[in-house]
Amino acid sequence: MSGGIDPVTLEVIRNALTAIAEEMSLVVMRAARSPLLREAGDLSSALTDSDGALIAQGRDIPMHLGVMSFTVGEFLKRVPKERLCPGDVWFLNLPEIGGNHLPDVKAIRPVFADGAIRAFAVSLAHWADIGGAVPGSYVADATDAWQEGLRIAPVRLFTADGPDRERLDLILANVRGAEEREGDILAQMAATRAAEAALQSLFGAHGVAMVEAAIAAIHNRAEAQMRDALRSLPDGVYRGEDRLDDDGAGGPPLPIRVTVTLDGDRASFDFSESGDAARGPVNTTPFIAAASVFYVVKALVGPEIQPSGGCYRPLEIRTRPGSVLAPPPDKPLVGGNHETSQRVADAVFRALEAALPEAVSAGGPTTSGLLLFGGRREDGIWTTLYETHGGGEGARVDRDGAPVIRVHMSNVMNTPAEVIEAEYPIRVERQALRRGSGGAGRFRGGDGLLREYCVRVDDMSLTSMFERRIVPPYGIQGGGDGAPFRVTIVRADGSTADLPGKANIRLGRGDRVIVESCGGGGYGLPDAAD
Amino acid sequence: MTGAWQAGIDMGGTFTDVVAWNGETGESRAAKVRTRTDDRIAGIRDALAAVDLAWDEIGDLMHGTTMATNAIVEGKLADVALITTEGFADTLDIGRQNRRYLYRLDLPPKIAPQVPPERRFEVAERIGPAGEVRVPLDAGSLERAVRQARDSGVRSVAVALLHAYANSQHEEAVGAALAPHLPYVALSSRVNPEAREYERMATTVLGASLMPLVAGYLDELESARPDSARLHLFHSAGGMASSEALRDLPLGLALSGPAAGVAAAGVVAAELGIDNAISLDMGGTTTDVCLIRDGRAEIDNAREIAGRPLRQPMVAVESIGAGGGSIARLDHGALTVGPDSAGAVPGPACYGNGGTDPTVTDANLLLGYLDAGRTLGGDIRLDAAAAREAIAPLAREMNVSAEQAALGLLRVATANMIRALGRVTVERGIDGRACTLIAFGGAGPMQAVPVARAFGIRRIVVPAFSSMFSALGCVSAEKSYTQQQTVRMGSAQWDTAAVAAAHDSLRARLAEPLRAAGHGAEEMHSRTVAAMRYSGQSYAVEIPDPALDDSARLGDAFRALHAKLYGFATDEPWELVALRVTVSLPRPDGRPIAPGTAHARDGGRQGECWFGPGEPVATPRFERASLPPGRRIAGPAIVEDAWSTIVLPPGAALDADDRGHLHIDPGDNS
Repeated sequence: MSGGIDPVTLEVIRNALTAIAEEMSLVVMRAARSPLLREAGDLSSALTDSDGALIAQGRDIPMHLGVMSFTVGEFLKRVPKERLCPGDVWFLNLPEIGGNHLPDVKAIRPVFADGAIRAFAVSLAHWADIGGAVPGSYVADATDAWQEGLRIAPVRLFTADGPDRERLDLILANVRGAEEREGDILAQMAATRAAEAALQSLFGAHGVAMVEAAIAAIHNRAEAQMRDALRSLPDGVYRGEDRLDDDGAGGPPLPIRVTVTLDGDRASFDFSESGDAARGPVNTTPFIAAASVFYVVKALVGPEIQPSGGCYRPLEIRTRPGSVLAPPPDKPLVGGNHETSQRVADAVFRALEAALPEAVSAGGPTTSGLLLFGGRREDGIWTTLYETHGGGEGARVDRDGAPVIRVHMSNVMNTPAEVIEAEYPIRVERQALRRGSGGAGRFRGGDGLLREYCVRVDDMSLTSMFERRIVPPYGIQGGGDGAPFRVTIVRADGSTADLPGKANIRLGRGDRVIVESCGGGGYGLPDAAD
Repeated sequence: MTGAWQAGIDMGGTFTDVVAWNGETGESRAAKVRTRTDDRIAGIRDALAAVDLAWDEIGDLMHGTTMATNAIVEGKLADVALITTEGFADTLDIGRQNRRYLYRLDLPPKIAPQVPPERRFEVAERIGPAGEVRVPLDAGSLERAVRQARDSGVRSVAVALLHAYANSQHEEAVGAALAPHLPYVALSSRVNPEAREYERMATTVLGASLMPLVAGYLDELESARPDSARLHLFHSAGGMASSEALRDLPLGLALSGPAAGVAAAGVVAAELGIDNAISLDMGGTTTDVCLIRDGRAEIDNAREIAGRPLRQPMVAVESIGAGGGSIARLDHGALTVGPDSAGAVPGPACYGNGGTDPTVTDANLLLGYLDAGRTLGGDIRLDAAAAREAIAPLAREMNVSAEQAALGLLRVATANMIRALGRVTVERGIDGRACTLIAFGGAGPMQAVPVARAFGIRRIVVPAFSSMFSALGCVSAEKSYTQQQTVRMGSAQWDTAAVAAAHDSLRARLAEPLRAAGHGAEEMHSRTVAAMRYSGQSYAVEIPDPALDDSARLGDAFRALHAKLYGFATDEPWELVALRVTVSLPRPDGRPIAPGTAHARDGGRQGECWFGPGEPVATPRFERASLPPGRRIAGPAIVEDAWSTIVLPPGAALDADDRGHLHIDPGDNS
């Protein structure tokens, strides 16, 4: 089963590879300049084999898994191995090259031994700014890809001799906060360098052939785990659909449709019938769709499956070029990363409801509920509060949904009211459960959040990027839908307005923003007494 | 007249350890007895009797206990009511909105709030982040909340108002109004005066829910102790505290047991002049590792116990699911060990209590490291046949001999442990290979050499009293009180007087229990750590001994440390965010020295041990107590006492020093 390697050496090398990837993440967190990287840990690290298939991951972020599984393979289609040299570090962020959205920049280092490439070290980091129309590069009303920021096709920024100063400067000239960005670039480079050193000592300790045998066995093992998981699912053809609130620019709801074919130890997921590419930034990439599919299978039947290139062997994932999941390169997609990825997972869950009614949950807060407040404090310091808002979890066959939680593809924490009040010119008037927002059912959906912000300066910007405002979290097996997301602006003069899910507006002193996040869907018909 | 003996008693779930030391004669005694869960006071007398002492011969009794930890883990906590700021009663439900398990839909994603909605009461008031009163405390709402709390049927109330860490006056008013009606009141500004409302509120509630239990035990202890015997308890940040102090802050006991072991490792490191050390404490289900710098354990300010956030200064112990009871499985072609464990019941197969899964302990027995002829822990007879039977199916599946399967199992357990070693060092910018490994507990010394070799460590110390190490920590640690408090001050508007006032008030609060015990200010020593960062970031670095009276020097120290840790520093504005202060009395001058070098009984016994592929090796076994100072033993060898076993594979060598410490050179892999 494990192809020429004993189970002990396999486990020892697997542990070592994981430890290397974990160390890469620690290096980035310690050395990066962006608070986003150092505190929120919005980064991933991975090792791949010489063909770009994932072998180890440092931190388990479901969304990044898809990206890391494909980046190097796609990169090698653009940059042939003959062009790569020991000591190189290449940077890129093009979504179509195993990517997701522009702020997530990847650094790739080939690792050579005995004269050939044996592995790649990859460091993904979310840059706090990648240029484009607004600071923070979060353009809710973008209509094309170039408004979203600098598009980095694969470029060699470091060689064995050191940094390529001119290319580095070209990048830095196109993003805000050059000093901080250069720190991030150096941190990503340092992470790949630490991985190279550790891999070389692993090669030294076990021999290149043994490590390569272990890598092959890691893939085979993950494949076997995935096949076991798929075998436990009932064969059949299942269809599921979920909808985005709109096309990112106010149009009608945009469908994500999937046809799932389960056949023994194989499965295919065909998204071809999903809607066309959106006008606004809710498009995403086939790699994110694959990450979502992998997440659903793992969550439903295989929590123990090790992320590895081998996992994908029994899976076929099809997207239609020109659709919202495989858009033309000119389409904006900054929000699709965290919104549409969730919708893909929902569509697959909905398809499998018929097959596995006791394993799936009703619809939950599959949106980041993102609000970005930007403004200058009284002391002149510019601040940006990047705040996500969890909602009520969908109910399950045996329990109510939990209140105020993040589900599926993301797990980012909130910012405490005491931190917001101390560091941003914003006051938090109250934070409470949005009682009654969970859907009815034999088991009720969890309640969403009610949080009220009050602006304390004369001018702030507010950007929104959230879903589930129009299409609510769904109930299943007869359960009711959760209450949809709602954000209300109450101006200082008392006038009120409903905030759209993708908007850029300005706020003034005394204006209030009342967030009512969505409740979870219910499960089963309510009892008569309910 | 107080007794000349000092006794450290560490009471765990299964065993109670005692180390006693006579400061006048230098005599030491140590023992291990079964924990009396039925009657803890009797358990203390039992422990003292095991070293031929009575309580009235003891001058200072230093006590560590896992009682609070176990109550949290087992959920045996008192009901609590909560009083908070209007608009924030649901904060415990909201938490930080993240889920516990990424891929488990079936499990509840967050822990249920400790206080149900019907016992949460609000008062109208508002304090700002700088401590300014924005809305005065409303008398009517206070009266109503106090009445509701009183009528809710609880004995403990937690009070957690927004920004109370910056100004405690409203909380104190609420506390004063509650005091006539309720026996236990916990104020967040006392329990955990730090920003972030959820963590402070949850910590305060947890503390309130422990108060009746801990106070009850402390009352028992106080009434049982002879007047001549002082009583101290070991707290989570690695020092001793009085029972009066812990009555109000019972969370100080949450990590009492592990903290005492790590503190003892710090004492040994200081004694041996070791700069950087890693403690390795392997137990039945977990292995704890902790980084020790300059004789002090690293301190963390937050962790979770049983899914509940707990924010207090605590020793930074990293716990991984690899212990003697960890179970090995062959899973899709890889041999995995842990995190599931046979635990204490049924325990490893070789304990003969019905366990059938192969564990780390079974492997150690099968390979000849543990002596099948001895009893373990006083009354556990090891069953070699059961160990072999448990490992046999694994060996068949792997197509190797039982011994080779057992060696493989230990290699994997070692690989798990070195990942933890990597985490505690890399995270803090330390080269772990240059650290000394201090191995203790029942199983730590057994695995120390392979762990050191795999990680690249060149020096191991198995200290004196290594199998009663937490009790040693109790008897040799300093008396200290530690707390962290949010104090915000930017470099641009630095106000030396305001920072000094906050610092002095924190120090005075921490010195109070020592003053109450009759110690003068001249005896006390205080240490301060400042958490600082660049403005606009929320990630702080910790500056030891900060120059709070000189912001230029403080800024220099911050930039220097930042550059060292992160490779860069800039001239941007910075800010102070928190102070952590420890007020302590010095450690006692003398220290216990391991007894028993008198009974020289050199290991005439010999057994067969497997260390690698091929045939077993004839391996001499030594009694630890029989090793005279200066004695050198080359591997292969086994050194054992009643409670633990040190394994020296071929290539490793051990030297005994005159204080009972064993120094091991792990040697090369062979």
